[in-house]
Amino acid sequence: MHSVTALFFGPLREIVGADALPIDVPDPFTGDAAFECLARRFPRLSSWRGALRLAVNREYVPFDRTLEPGDEISFLPPVSGG
Amino acid sequence: MVAITTGRIDPADVLGRIATPGTGGIDVFIGTVRDTNEGKAVASIEYTAYIPMAEEMLRKIEQEIRARWQVEQVVLLHRIGLLAVGEVSVLTAVAAPHRAGAFEACRHAIERIKADVPIWKKEFAPV
Repeated sequence: MHSVTALFFGPLREIVGADALPIDVPDPFTGDAAFECLARRFPRLSSWRGALRLAVNREYVPFDRTLEPGDEISFLPPVSGG
Repeated sequence: MVAITTGRIDPADVLGRIATPGTGGIDVFIGTVRDTNEGKAVASIEYTAYIPMAEEMLRKIEQEIRARWQVEQVVLLHRIGLLAVGEVSVLTAVAAPHRAGAFEACRHAIERIKADVPIWKKEFAPV
């Protein structure tokens, strides 16, 4: 198991009820796998998957990106600034 | 100058600070809170942000602009918190020697902010 901290914003923060959560991810240690772990814990997240973007250490990256222990990751809902 | 800010954005103050002797023109986009969204009345909007990432992205957008257009000053500000109808939520301003670059760079800035900067709004109806 690998541990990362996931941050939550906008509607996802309301679904998980927290600003940040530690997640334990089995191999392969990727963004996709981290999302799967979260979606098992919060089933309402599943329907969001297609709309989300992954940020690792504050940069957008593909979901198949391999993570490193201690990474700051976030699954970002569609942005709506302006 | 780029920032995610909880303070009120004052366009006159920004304009007063960015004109330099080399400036031929300043293009400004000011986004304000509108009283309707998709046909529903809106009284206020709460903006939240992934602040460190949003500020890093604003700096990146400024770098893109400076690499692509000849500009003197770039200002990218987005306010977060609870804003009432009519309040300024976002301001992009570009001071440049010539108007074409100022217009294009300012448009680029607001389009990039709306597409990619991690900021979210939640609308509240009048009570």
